[in-house]
Amino acid sequence: MSTIRRFRAMDMFQFNNINLDKYTETYGLDFYLSYLSSWPDLFNVAESSSGSLMGYMMGKVEGKGELWHGHVTALTVAPECRRLGLGRGLMQFLEDASENIYNCYFVDLFVRPSNKVAVKMYEDFGYIVYRQVLGYYMTDGVMPTENAYDMRKALSRDIYKKSVVPLKHPVNPEDTFFD
Amino acid sequence: MEQRQLRPIYDALDISNVGLALQECNKLLRKHPNHLSAKALKAFALSRLGEADDALSLGRSVLQTPGSVKNPNVEQALVLAFRTLRKPEDEISVYNAILEHSPENESIHVKVFLAAACNALYNEQHKAAVDLNKLFKRSKYTWWIIISLLLSTRFLDDTASAQLHLALARKMAEKALSEQRPSTTEHLRIMLAISEEQRDYSAMLSALSSDGPLASQISNDPDLITLRISLFVKTRDYASAINAAIRALEVRDNWIDYKHYIDAVVAELGQLADKPAGQTTLLETTRGNFERWAQLRGRARNARLASVELTSKLQAAGYSPSFDSVVGSFGDLIWMYVDLFKDKAICYSDIMQHFARHVGDSASALDFHTAQLAQRIQLTHGDGAKQGQDVQSWVNMEKIRYLLQAMRNDSDAASWVQDISSMLEYGLDSKDAKAKHAAASDMVLLASQRLVLAAFLDYATYQKRNKLFYALFTALCILEEGIRLNANNFLLKLYAVRLYLYLSCYERARGIYDSLNIKNIQYDTLGHFIIGQGLALGCTTPDLELCYPAVTFYDRAKSKIPHEMESAYNKSTYSNILDFIEFKDNLKHSVQCEHTYRCALRLEILEQGCSKGAEQAWNNTSVSSINHTEESLARLHDNRDVNIMGLLTPLDMSKWNLEILTRPTPLPNHAWIRTFSLTPQVMHCLVNANAELLEAKRKELLVTIEDAGDSITPHDKLVARGLCVIATLYINAVDNKSTDEQVDELVKMIESNLPNEALDDSAVDLDTLPFVTIRAMAAATELFIYAATTKHALAAQRLSAAKQMGFELTQLRKRALRGITALRSWLSKSVRDAIAEALSSPEEPVHSGAIVEYVHRKHKGSVDVADGVYNYALMTVPELLFSADSSWFEPLPTDDIDVDLVHVMPLPDEEEHEIFEDTWGDLNKKKLLS
Repeated sequence: MSTIRRFRAMDMFQFNNINLDKYTETYGLDFYLSYLSSWPDLFNVAESSSGSLMGYMMGKVEGKGELWHGHVTALTVAPECRRLGLGRGLMQFLEDASENIYNCYFVDLFVRPSNKVAVKMYEDFGYIVYRQVLGYYMTDGVMPTENAYDMRKALSRDIYKKSVVPLKHPVNPEDTFFD
Repeated sequence: MEQRQLRPIYDALDISNVGLALQECNKLLRKHPNHLSAKALKAFALSRLGEADDALSLGRSVLQTPGSVKNPNVEQALVLAFRTLRKPEDEISVYNAILEHSPENESIHVKVFLAAACNALYNEQHKAAVDLNKLFKRSKYTWWIIISLLLSTRFLDDTASAQLHLALARKMAEKALSEQRPSTTEHLRIMLAISEEQRDYSAMLSALSSDGPLASQISNDPDLITLRISLFVKTRDYASAINAAIRALEVRDNWIDYKHYIDAVVAELGQLADKPAGQTTLLETTRGNFERWAQLRGRARNARLASVELTSKLQAAGYSPSFDSVVGSFGDLIWMYVDLFKDKAICYSDIMQHFARHVGDSASALDFHTAQLAQRIQLTHGDGAKQGQDVQSWVNMEKIRYLLQAMRNDSDAASWVQDISSMLEYGLDSKDAKAKHAAASDMVLLASQRLVLAAFLDYATYQKRNKLFYALFTALCILEEGIRLNANNFLLKLYAVRLYLYLSCYERARGIYDSLNIKNIQYDTLGHFIIGQGLALGCTTPDLELCYPAVTFYDRAKSKIPHEMESAYNKSTYSNILDFIEFKDNLKHSVQCEHTYRCALRLEILEQGCSKGAEQAWNNTSVSSINHTEESLARLHDNRDVNIMGLLTPLDMSKWNLEILTRPTPLPNHAWIRTFSLTPQVMHCLVNANAELLEAKRKELLVTIEDAGDSITPHDKLVARGLCVIATLYINAVDNKSTDEQVDELVKMIESNLPNEALDDSAVDLDTLPFVTIRAMAAATELFIYAATTKHALAAQRLSAAKQMGFELTQLRKRALRGITALRSWLSKSVRDAIAEALSSPEEPVHSGAIVEYVHRKHKGSVDVADGVYNYALMTVPELLFSADSSWFEPLPTDDIDVDLVHVMPLPDEEEHEIFEDTWGDLNKKKLLS
């Protein structure tokens, strides 16, 4: 059972069952707090009936003109809580907000191509590989340096689905920045 | 001109060379004694160097110079200095001084507001907001006033004006909402918070039900939808709550809405007390809704669990079993849920609390569940060939079996471990285990948990400690093998860290802890697993290495959080303000933060060993900020995560709580914090020759440790008691009274906690080595270093007691070295054989039978791990020997020393030894080993 609600700074005191997973990064305080102060409605957490945290998703909106879009910054689910559809629920949350509140053209995310389970999951959610970003992931001593897939899903505002026409050539990380 | 003069100072600051910046300031001030910018920058440099009093005094004097802040260099330097000194009032004074010259400078007014807002100066914050709104008339500033009023109501004690403030805030918020037509719900949330503070739930409902410009956002915001349902429940409008919940649940599967729905239904039953037919209809409708939602894709779990929750609430309200025929019986629904979702890892966590609620004190309910489990567990029990979902079911059944056994209060250790062979076989030997299947790791953890619990059940008494050692050792072998197979499972690692520390094996515990990559906020929540444990085991350097990043995290948080609070105000995301304030308060007044700072201070001093550097270090230590009072202790928050260990019983069943049972030392509490806030103060008074304050602190320390009871360890008490003796010794020496009694007492305290040089094979056993010997040696080492520092302080003041103390400590050191040599010899000769023998010829059920058979015969890998564990145990002592000033230790007879130990602890050569002997008499020692 789960409740999806806004993430609170106080949740950082109890998200260890999620963040102790080796693939989940524990960022500095300012990273979490800046998302909370900038996009409080796009940082959501799934909570169990006993009050323990099950997973969370950090998101934001950015870009200009037809590049105005929702972005998935982090999506993670505690090992015990996987295969329950929480990832889909949290993604749905961002997609709904991007579509209904922020009136975005698309939602995008970055993922390691080697994380085949995640790539498959996003494809199941309707995302396509829009482009490859060269050397996007730098090694942290545990995970290797790797390219990224920039995956996208068009929203209804993008009537002609222009945002999801895949690029034929890879791009550099600086080409992915938005003002 | 001025910029050119200041360039060297700024250059030094740019490269973070604050000392050089200070030199450049002084250089400039020698030429131009009244150079205000140089003075302000000097104040900043002093603040960065920790010279708080001088920095504050200089900064204030510059500020009082008329017109000084007109100079932007002065303004910037003073603001930074006061921020570094955590003096927000002074920072605001700088801004106010600027405003005297530029009263309509909007950015400075904003700075006043933000400085006040980020430092809980709510009256100043309110005044600044009013000034901003009056001068610049922006809608944002209206909301800043509203928030200031709300905060002042919530956090200030002035209850008389609280209602007035709230009423004013609400009036302003209502007006602003109607006039400004905001586009986000952030303003609405502030309005709701005000009404909630007033307990005016009707007003909140009204705000959430309006059809204004935010209506669409409100109807799509799950938090606000849930809030609205809960408000109907709070206002006892149960029918509306039920309707609102149904509408919400028709479109979104949110558990909290089920809970409010159920609360409203159960409350409504009370309203329908005289209408049984109405009650039945209500419950039938509810059950029907749950059933309907359960059929929708991906919604079965919440809906099915809602049925269980409903029966649970009906039981709690006294309706059970009257409505069992309508909604089903509580017990049956629990098992229906288990049957449906037993192949999900989360199943047990979902249902555990319901087992506990249903059983309560009812033996028949417990029997019912035991019988239900018996029917199912045979079907799922592993035969080594099970795969995938079947195995997950087995894991869940085993977890339920564990819970029921605990609820039955089963104290028979053998029954806790009798069936774990098949669990180990699957967890360590199966294809799933080699494929890192999560269920296999779960099974290893479960087997280990059973073994650990059985060990504590049977061997927790003092007389059986050696058996506890062997049993926990066996559990460690299993955990290590589980980690080897699946290094991603953090629970196996957390248990291993705990058990290694329990057995005083620091090095391996540290290695596993490091592999968890714990950092940032986790220092506060998980640091308690290991910080301070190295200190307790004599492994000071690695412990200090852990403290540094944690201290850095806490220090940075002090500036990062206010910065993000400013950001929230500037971006008008007001809903975070209260959350950020609470978070900041919890972190600022964190028990773990206090513990980390205290450990870091002790460890830094201990790193100085017996050299004069320790005396200087105490001298340089600012102890004013660690002077705890009852009031400051009451403000502390415990953010430590003790629920992370995957417990299989509810927290209130403390007898079965493995997190508590496996703590190597009690979690540091108020008594610990007070004790180790006083010990630095005692040492500080002593090296600063403040005998009067020293006596007061000594008395305070004595009372604190006497009141502490079992909440601090005997070894921590030894350090504190020893320090009280040292304080008395010093005071007597200053008064020219005899110090013989205190010196004797101190020497006895230290010596009795070090190994005896006459030690033989029978004198030390594995029952005392991990639980007493190593920890006592660490505490005695610390006390010896404090004694040596005291000797230096006495000598510096030319007090005759220094000579006597130096002689006694020298003699003590020699005896101690012989004792430690004997212990090391015993360890290298005997401990490995002792453990091997105990494990190969088991006499007790917990570490015998199938488990040992498994570890030794069936699984060579586990035996290899066990060998490794022996080594870790042996390595702890050399680590301890290094932890103190290394020149304590004389060369040891090499024929008694294990080759590995020699490698671990290189010995001084002859020349170094001579230097050591020559210098030891004065306790003015040269460090021989780095």
